[in-house]
Amino acid sequence: MTKKTLVFYPGCIMQTEQYSYEISLREILPVLDIKLVDVEGFSCCGEPLKSVNRMITLVLSARNIALAESRNLDIFTPCPICNLAFRECKNILDNDDKIKEKVNGFLAEEGLTYNGISKVIDLLELLYDIVGLDYIKKHVKKPLDLKAAVHYGCHAIRPSEIGRSDDSEEPRKIEDILEVLGVEAPWYPEKLDCCGGLLNMNLPETALTKTGEKLRSIQEQGFDLLVDICPWCHRQFDSKQKKSGETVAYSLNLPVVYLTQLMGLAFDIPWGKLGFNLNLSPVNTLVEGR
Amino acid sequence: MGILDLTSMGEPQVDVKREIIGQLERLQDEIPEYCYQCAKCTSGCEAHRLLELEPHRIIALLKRGLIDEMVNSDIIWTCMSCFKCWERCPQKIAPVEILFLLKNYAVALGKQIPGNYTAALQSVLSKGLIQDVKTISTRTGETKSRRDVGLPEITKPVDPVKFQALISKMAVEKI
Amino acid sequence: MKKPRIGVFVCHCGINISATVDVEKVKEYAKTLDGVAVSKDYKYMCSDVGANLIKESIKKDKLTSVVVACCSPRMHEHTFQKVASDGGLNPYTVEIANIREQCSWVHDDKKVATEKAKKLVEAAVAKARLLEPLITSSIEVTPNALVIGGGIAGIQAALEIAENGHKVYLVERTPTLGGRMAQLDKTFPTLDCSSCILTPRMTEVADHPNIELLAYSEVEDIKGSIGNFTVKIRKKARFVDADKCTGCGDCAENCRLKGRIIDEFNMGLNKRSAIYLPFPQAVPLIYTIDPNHCLMLTTGRCGKYPLCVEACEADAIDFNQKDEVITVDVGAIVVATGFNLLDPSIIPEYGYTHSPNVITTLEMERLINSAGPTKGEIQLLDTKEKPKSITYILCVGSRDETVCSWCCRIGCMTALKHLYLIREKLPDAEINLCYIDIRSYGKGYEEFYRTARNLNINLFRGRPSEVRPTKEGIIINVFDTITNKLFEIKTDMVVLVPAVTAREDAVELARKLKISTSSDGFYLEGHPKLKPMDTATGGIFLAGFCQGAKDIQDTVAHASGAASRALTILSKKELEAETYIAVVDEELCSGCGICISVCPYQAIELITEDDKKRAKVNEALCMGCGACTAACPSGAMQQRGFKDKEILSMIEVLSK
Repeated sequence: MTKKTLVFYPGCIMQTEQYSYEISLREILPVLDIKLVDVEGFSCCGEPLKSVNRMITLVLSARNIALAESRNLDIFTPCPICNLAFRECKNILDNDDKIKEKVNGFLAEEGLTYNGISKVIDLLELLYDIVGLDYIKKHVKKPLDLKAAVHYGCHAIRPSEIGRSDDSEEPRKIEDILEVLGVEAPWYPEKLDCCGGLLNMNLPETALTKTGEKLRSIQEQGFDLLVDICPWCHRQFDSKQKKSGETVAYSLNLPVVYLTQLMGLAFDIPWGKLGFNLNLSPVNTLVEGR
Repeated sequence: MGILDLTSMGEPQVDVKREIIGQLERLQDEIPEYCYQCAKCTSGCEAHRLLELEPHRIIALLKRGLIDEMVNSDIIWTCMSCFKCWERCPQKIAPVEILFLLKNYAVALGKQIPGNYTAALQSVLSKGLIQDVKTISTRTGETKSRRDVGLPEITKPVDPVKFQALISKMAVEKI
Repeated sequence: MKKPRIGVFVCHCGINISATVDVEKVKEYAKTLDGVAVSKDYKYMCSDVGANLIKESIKKDKLTSVVVACCSPRMHEHTFQKVASDGGLNPYTVEIANIREQCSWVHDDKKVATEKAKKLVEAAVAKARLLEPLITSSIEVTPNALVIGGGIAGIQAALEIAENGHKVYLVERTPTLGGRMAQLDKTFPTLDCSSCILTPRMTEVADHPNIELLAYSEVEDIKGSIGNFTVKIRKKARFVDADKCTGCGDCAENCRLKGRIIDEFNMGLNKRSAIYLPFPQAVPLIYTIDPNHCLMLTTGRCGKYPLCVEACEADAIDFNQKDEVITVDVGAIVVATGFNLLDPSIIPEYGYTHSPNVITTLEMERLINSAGPTKGEIQLLDTKEKPKSITYILCVGSRDETVCSWCCRIGCMTALKHLYLIREKLPDAEINLCYIDIRSYGKGYEEFYRTARNLNINLFRGRPSEVRPTKEGIIINVFDTITNKLFEIKTDMVVLVPAVTAREDAVELARKLKISTSSDGFYLEGHPKLKPMDTATGGIFLAGFCQGAKDIQDTVAHASGAASRALTILSKKELEAETYIAVVDEELCSGCGICISVCPYQAIELITEDDKKRAKVNEALCMGCGACTAACPSGAMQQRGFKDKEILSMIEVLSK
């Protein structure tokens, strides 16, 4: 029985390189009776270009939402950055008819209209509020005995003014989900620190320093792994872990996985189906023997 | 009559300041004039320690109307947009949002856009996405495409010409 | 009714009115109105000359009522009522046409303003034609006072009123007098020992023949109004016979739960017994059993037998004691309920919940105090070691639009006071202080701050973004706007200086008292400058922190002021009753009782006369709020001075 059907908005980074996120999502959501609908024609959400021109960001977000709205479904945005862009776009357009009219004037070019009927749902809202912990628990077949550091990513929890799915200072949803999977996720001082990912646009070296510093302190505190939900953060922590270790002159070997991958493991889905071969951090220890 | 910054011979750009603050209020209702320089933003700024960004100083300069000093400096491009400054501001001011507007203003003035922003903009213009779809490497060094790992075709604008026309129009638009 | 002869007196108010309103035209227009016998103008009608002009005219022109076109009735209605009275008229036959605040001050166009002034005068004349003389009755005053709250404000107010010869009921919610001041070690800027100056005042209260101390009691219900309040007070059961208890403490020593229950007085830094005395100098010196924890009271059994009963030689423990509700009559009430400190865990980034060594100023106060849980040793809460470095963060939640927008007015000085006290006890410790502004505004405060600067203190002018407890110590990054540098402070102990808030149940008490709160949650004063102790409800006054942040000095001054305001009522045998009260037209009243349900003062009752039910207004209780007159479906309920026909006559003119 399908619990909810959603338009799937993958966003640029996930669909152009963060395949393990997309693979694991497409694997675990059907288990939880969530149906994803792929829609042709999406573009960038606009958030990475906010520094260049906010109007581009707004129109790109509105365009994508409008496309999804034509299916009469809510939109699932696993990438917190895309989610922020869409929610901010909704905040602006739903509260200001003048800007909405103007934006719709542009969208008419492609035959689209933004109406504001579709809700924008991120991963935490989907898993925690729509699916629910009890339902997730039902599907846990092989609890994982691990101690994880959790990284929410800045955009997932801030700015609360725009409306995020968890508390900006004391987010709990990932920890609560992990607890259901058998994973212990204690608080650590650097929990809310930024990965530096967005600096990749102009200061990639500094971005790597931020990434390396956070990874180092997590590794030093004896965590088994780092769990994240943002493709930008994951790109820093996993794909660029080696480089970031070199930048901060520290030997990093911390397994970094998407929450969705870990859920798949606990659901007893073979690790080969969860994109674990694509993690560049040393995740072998997590999957060996499974 | 008037105020002059003798270190830079800069004069307050009252109109630009008003325009920027005006854009901000229309978006979020965050009023920089309320800033009392407690510097909580800078104390917790993710970019400060490595890149010397001082959000409280950005607000102070904006309040003084010394906009040119900021748009002529690379410092505004060091923000990581972690949003902590906005989240924790006791006066509900959003330095991060002001930085977005200052960068937009610099771009509108034709200042150099640093780093990969130009490439990203170009990529969005031509393909709708900020980067090309990649063939990636596994932990054991094999290369894999989306198809190799069993993922469907990517989603992207169907009619690139129409899409391009839409985005190009934005270049002259302000919020 | 004889034909009205109305005198209209138009005031220039210097040029306040005459610059925008053509006074001459208004005066001439008034002469044309029905019932107007005479119309005059003068530069300042409220002056002696103006007053004489009116008085003489009343006599000479045989006036029946007076219309004064001038400023707001809030300014001078009373003045002109007295003038009319002196001139031989009933004072309530005066009607004010407000042509200043509602006309000249808000318009620029003289022509428009003049036309509006004419209308306002015409409306006032219309009402004046119908005005009836009113007689004000007087009510007897109960010469006793109620003081709610037994902190320094309540103590001060109670003693002042008692000293003036009036009986005072002092109600305190906790088992003892003392309030927040009892929790403090020293006081700024003199560094007097807080309890040394407080406890004598507490004893004075206990010994004063005019004060009835009702500790461990709460106000349940308040009825009546200025001069005559009836108050229900719940005296909570202590389960200890007050007359027998000697305060020896053997019971607490022997309690089965000794050292197991969080000690509120010590801010939870230690544990007490289920039977307890908050602190050794408590007044009254009577032990109290905590009904939420005592095994006998919660489960009905305590081991084989309750150890406290066995230990008490005075045989004072009585598990059968019940709450007692008493009723007292008072003429005035002083509210002195104090404040709370903000719980810093609502600002999670400051780490209060992540480390035991992140504490508040009040917790530090108990650590410094030699009677406190550590006997005055400043020590880390986990290791019990002496801290090598202590860091203060000011304005935690204060001056913060997301928490408390106001300044706490005590934080800066409290922190500076701690610097002195810590420096005395830990001469070598590093002390850091992060501030936004140091507000040392009181007498001797700036001098205190100057001396503090020379105590080997690191002052950082900046607000940290977070407090980060790590294995290597607590780390605070703060951008110091003085040196323009980001500093990392590694410290053992962090003291947060939290915002101040109203008591959690302030609104509930406000509802009982029918007083208002301001947007910050504290009780609203009558006027921020001129009536800082009054409330909008007659006979109820505010003392101390419950009205807004105050240090001890200001609290005591405020409390004395509140006592003095209460005495202006208590010292009178009789008070003038409210004039503009409700009256019932017996012919029209159907006895439906709607008025009774809306009356906030329980001033209306239903009586039966000649088999006919009708409403009756108790003139002593009615406050003239007008709720019943608005609710009455038949128009039987009318408010004196504002009868429907009077108001309608004005509306008729103004809507022409």
